[in-house]
Amino acid sequence: MTHLVILDYEAVQALQGPDHHKHRRVVSQAQVVASRKRRAVAIQMVVPTAVRVEAGWDRSSPAWGFPNRLRIADSPLDTASTNSAAAIRGRTGVSVADSHIGAVIHSASHHQITVVTSDPGDMRLVADDKNITVAAI
Amino acid sequence: MTDAALDLNHLRSWIGKTEEVSDIITPRLTAALRATLEALVMQAVLDDHYERYPQARPDLGDLAVAAAELDGHPLAGQPRRLRQAAAEITANHPDASPDDVLLWAEARTLPAA
Repeated sequence: MTHLVILDYEAVQALQGPDHHKHRRVVSQAQVVASRKRRAVAIQMVVPTAVRVEAGWDRSSPAWGFPNRLRIADSPLDTASTNSAAAIRGRTGVSVADSHIGAVIHSASHHQITVVTSDPGDMRLVADDKNITVAAI
Repeated sequence: MTDAALDLNHLRSWIGKTEEVSDIITPRLTAALRATLEALVMQAVLDDHYERYPQARPDLGDLAVAAAELDGHPLAGQPRRLRQAAAEITANHPDASPDDVLLWAEARTLPAA
């Protein structure tokens, strides 16, 4: 059983800012992931790189030290995922960042996929027929 | 002194000896070891963050809600019920986990036998 947790724009913003009103909620998600990893559960948090662009997450900036150190992997916008994201954007009209989330969802082979998001509707739209769990923040 | 000399002689007998040990490493084992290390790093980072920002430290109710949301648990949409279950379970089991809370909350929704 493998579990992929994808962060959207607002989840990233909330994680970065201790004063953000949803900070504790997203930190709680990260804490659950850390606790499960400790129990050898195959769970991974990722951020699509287009989401990082939209959120202004620069890994070389000290301002992003906390999220950087949380072992959240980049899911890059490579050729294949760009094609997939472009098709999703054409079909749905959502933002580039959300289209990239859709591409990550469609390319993932994990048993369970959870998207931490403030926009459940758009996430279900980009996921289309792929089964996802939406953790609304 | 005699004992020390004997010990030294014993240790000298090890000089030049070797021991070879082999084991099998698999992708699954390396993934598990990586996950263990990642968990330790993540927890250290979170603990450091809680020390700097105590208001960011989630309580058991927060963690139970987060666990339910991540799993798409049927009770994910009932945070008040989960927080109530967390409060109840903490009273008797201070070390309870979020998954214990989910189990307890689920049990509380079942009709009494």
